[in-house]
Amino acid sequence: MIALEHASVKYGHALALEDISIEVGLHEIVAIVGRNGAGKSTTLKTLVGLLPLVAGRRVFGERDISRLSVEQIARQGVALVPDTRRIFPNLTVRENLRIGAVAHQPGYWTEARVLEVFPRLGERIDFGGDQLSGGEQQMLAIARALLGNPRILLLDEPTEGLAPLIVDQLVEVFAHVHRQGTGIVLVEQNLKVPMKLAHRQYVLDHGQVVWSGTSAELKDQRQLVENLITTGAAQ
Amino acid sequence: MSTLIIGLSLGMLLFLLASGLTLIFGMLGVINFAHGALYMLGAYIAFDIGRHTGSFVAGLIGATVLVALAGALIERLALRPLYDRPHFYQLILTFGVILVISEVVKVVWGLGYQESTMPPALAGTVDMFGSTIPVYRLFVIGFGALVSGGLFLLIEKSTFGMLVRAASSDGEMVRLLGLPVASVRMAVFALGSGLAGLAGAIAAPLFPIELGMATNTIIDCFIVVILGGLGNIRGAVAASLLIGLVRAIGYSYMPSWVDILTFSLLIATLLTRPQGLFFRATRSA
Repeated sequence: MIALEHASVKYGHALALEDISIEVGLHEIVAIVGRNGAGKSTTLKTLVGLLPLVAGRRVFGERDISRLSVEQIARQGVALVPDTRRIFPNLTVRENLRIGAVAHQPGYWTEARVLEVFPRLGERIDFGGDQLSGGEQQMLAIARALLGNPRILLLDEPTEGLAPLIVDQLVEVFAHVHRQGTGIVLVEQNLKVPMKLAHRQYVLDHGQVVWSGTSAELKDQRQLVENLITTGAAQ
Repeated sequence: MSTLIIGLSLGMLLFLLASGLTLIFGMLGVINFAHGALYMLGAYIAFDIGRHTGSFVAGLIGATVLVALAGALIERLALRPLYDRPHFYQLILTFGVILVISEVVKVVWGLGYQESTMPPALAGTVDMFGSTIPVYRLFVIGFGALVSGGLFLLIEKSTFGMLVRAASSDGEMVRLLGLPVASVRMAVFALGSGLAGLAGAIAAPLFPIELGMATNTIIDCFIVVILGGLGNIRGAVAASLLIGLVRAIGYSYMPSWVDILTFSLLIATLLTRPQGLFFRATRSA
């Protein structure tokens, strides 16, 4: 289980997260949804240690990891796929994949397995990271994270700006990853993908959790969905 | 022929020195003004070890390792807290390091110059293509080529090189993958410093060892880094050889024009191709 307990985070003097409590089991898919600026990405950055807590605790398993560095948290098995993908442009696709595994023990996800899941990357294996399309970069960012065999995978708007066909492919991949025993935290602005995948959801607004429950329960919260989530796709 | 050999050996010596500077700038974004002082320190250390042990090789290894350790200490204690500050903080700091190293050299070796002896195995000459060529010059060319090949393999083909290149483009993402960026940075600074120490040790039998020995060389070194493209090892090799040849040929045929030619080349490059003469838009080291 990874969790934030009564966590508060500041950007400069402004409170970005206020007394937030979120918990994700190692075998579940949890979505964090909300409008732009609600604090979703900030929550992920806080979970991986990029942002220091001004109050509360960061917990992994039974352990308080509030004071661990970003790399120490990553080595515990917490992987982030950032919204901007952050592929290394000066490394080839192969190197971008290999670097994901350097700090971690071998496990289910190997280079061969991720290339099976993302055959497109195999076709581009010697291309530079900066020579890939947006969809290919997203595949590479996810594959790179998987090669660390994470126990929890944090995905920041993984389907943003991608063609529907690629989105469908990624949904399949996330389901596959979950079946292999990896917990997933999915941040999205709309509900389309979370409704397909997530067991539970947190709705954020102005840096606070304003609602949490199962995806089935969220379907009945029409008012909340209309007010606080970018929805066009609430279905 | 001898002019060509002198040019190539000057170029390779310049490469040994400039490669460390370009590595540190390219990978860490730090313009290390103390690089020349580390080169001088390497020359003094190699001279001293050679004097006490009688071994040229021990001097090479000792200078490289000790200057690399000095570099690691400088990075850990002084530079690391400044990475997130504007560049001029680092410039001022590396100027300070020059002063500290110069004072250490004065205290340990005094103000006068020292002369290192040529290792006996490399002291002779050989006749090639009708010219008499000092063996040590050939050694410098061969050794420089070996180091450039090794550096290329290290940066382009090894896991360490992959980490260094990744950290140079996005250090935070490297940390998010569980990798110790701080240690990688320290290793790069130590490696760059060690190369300066090695260049000093190689230069020791060729030039008088003195406090001002780095001044002229370091200017050429910055020219190489700019012509080669910041952080570009292959570019540094090409630019070093170019500058070495320009200097050797210039000194033979039109000595008054050497500096004018060199600096004109620098200015023309900055104005027309600021990314460097040998920059290619590829993932080169």
